[in-house]
Amino acid sequence: MADYINTMIKPMLEGAQITILLFLIAILASIPLGFLLTLAAKSRIKPISWLAQTYIYLMRGTPLLLQLLFICFGLPLLPIIGDYLVLDRFVAACLGFILNYAAYFAEIFRGGLLAIDKGQYEASQVLGLNKWQTMTRIILPQMFRIALPAVSNESVTLVKDTALLYAVAVPELLHFAQTAVNRDFTIVPFFIAGIIYLIITLLLTILFKWLEKRFKFE
Amino acid sequence: MSIIEVSNLKKSYGDLEVLKQITFDVNKNDVVAVIGPSGSGKSTMLRSLVHLEEINSGSICVSGDYLVKDGVYSKSQEIKKITSKMGMVFQHFNLFPHMTVKENLEVAPRMLKKQPAHLIQQQSADLLEKVGLSDRATAYPANLSGGQKQRVAIARALMMNPDILLFDEPTSALDPELTGEVLQVMKHLAEEHMTMIVVTHEMGFAKEVANRAIFMDNGEIIESGHPDNLFTNPQYDRTKAFLNRSLK
Repeated sequence: MADYINTMIKPMLEGAQITILLFLIAILASIPLGFLLTLAAKSRIKPISWLAQTYIYLMRGTPLLLQLLFICFGLPLLPIIGDYLVLDRFVAACLGFILNYAAYFAEIFRGGLLAIDKGQYEASQVLGLNKWQTMTRIILPQMFRIALPAVSNESVTLVKDTALLYAVAVPELLHFAQTAVNRDFTIVPFFIAGIIYLIITLLLTILFKWLEKRFKFE
Repeated sequence: MSIIEVSNLKKSYGDLEVLKQITFDVNKNDVVAVIGPSGSGKSTMLRSLVHLEEINSGSICVSGDYLVKDGVYSKSQEIKKITSKMGMVFQHFNLFPHMTVKENLEVAPRMLKKQPAHLIQQQSADLLEKVGLSDRATAYPANLSGGQKQRVAIARALMMNPDILLFDEPTSALDPELTGEVLQVMKHLAEEHMTMIVVTHEMGFAKEVANRAIFMDNGEIIESGHPDNLFTNPQYDRTKAFLNRSLK
């Protein structure tokens, strides 16, 4: 049994690397992009605001799986430009996750901004800070702090959503587990996959708990 | 010599007139208490002085410069210059929760580069001592009592070296036993001849510290005068009725 687990765990750990790589790329790109979307949605220039809000609505209103399939298999079918849109599966998947999660993070940050009392803006104004100084020094640090628990939650969801790569045939953790189950006719790989996901989400939870404590302001 | 001149101030939200023809002067070193029932426009009037509210018509002149003249506002640079002469203390403190007490005091002077850093630090230490909070310099607002928060807010306003301090119901959000420490700080400021306009429900403070009281009701100034006269011998029924309710 121990030997079996040893031989099987190697490809699964390789799959886990893909899972973690996708997670890191997706989260590191979608948080800043989501923040830019929040600013765009709040923009006083109406077309920019509408565009951002429509984007957020589309991305949150349709399944991530549909978006992934669209990018991997839909785009190449487009007339004329389709031939240029055949992306590497992993790249396509990263793109799908980034575009989708940016919309969710945008909503989280918007919620964070709404939670800030208007007295904070008024105090800043009366102290003579300009709009930029107020934003960067007073508002945004509070917004990120307020958004932290929701960002943490969304990150855990992202780890689990990486399993959707299975559907576009990128070999990640779940793919190797399922292959081993089919090949060896045993349930053990599913348990191991589950444990690996749990370890990743546990580490993530610890990291965010630490961040929340670090920025508690008490 | 008047440091603030307000004339014919009007403001309305749609059909609702919240300020009707407000006219008054404040002299240098005055402590003006603005009293009146809730919804009488006291806070709106005060906030319009620092451009937190836009008025529809009338003029506001601060030490000779017009913030707004006959309903036309000055250029934004000019507005900034004029409002920087005034500090404001809010009912709900509005301290920055992600900064320590010391950072709350120093953030604006540092960003605006008013002085070299060591002078800013010196000033914040002096002001914290003045409001009796030297030992809380590294605390976050969440760990302060309401009275302490308001004293920090006063010190923060003083960091900008304002000519005039405006208080918008500075003790209304405090537990009754905590109002004393805040009023004490304000009394000290009055003794140092800081020019102050205080919107307040604290009749005791208005009587004891102010040298002028303004009674507002329904968007108008009904009467004003020395607190001794206004409180003991009000000329108008509305003032009498309000004082009877408040002084019970």
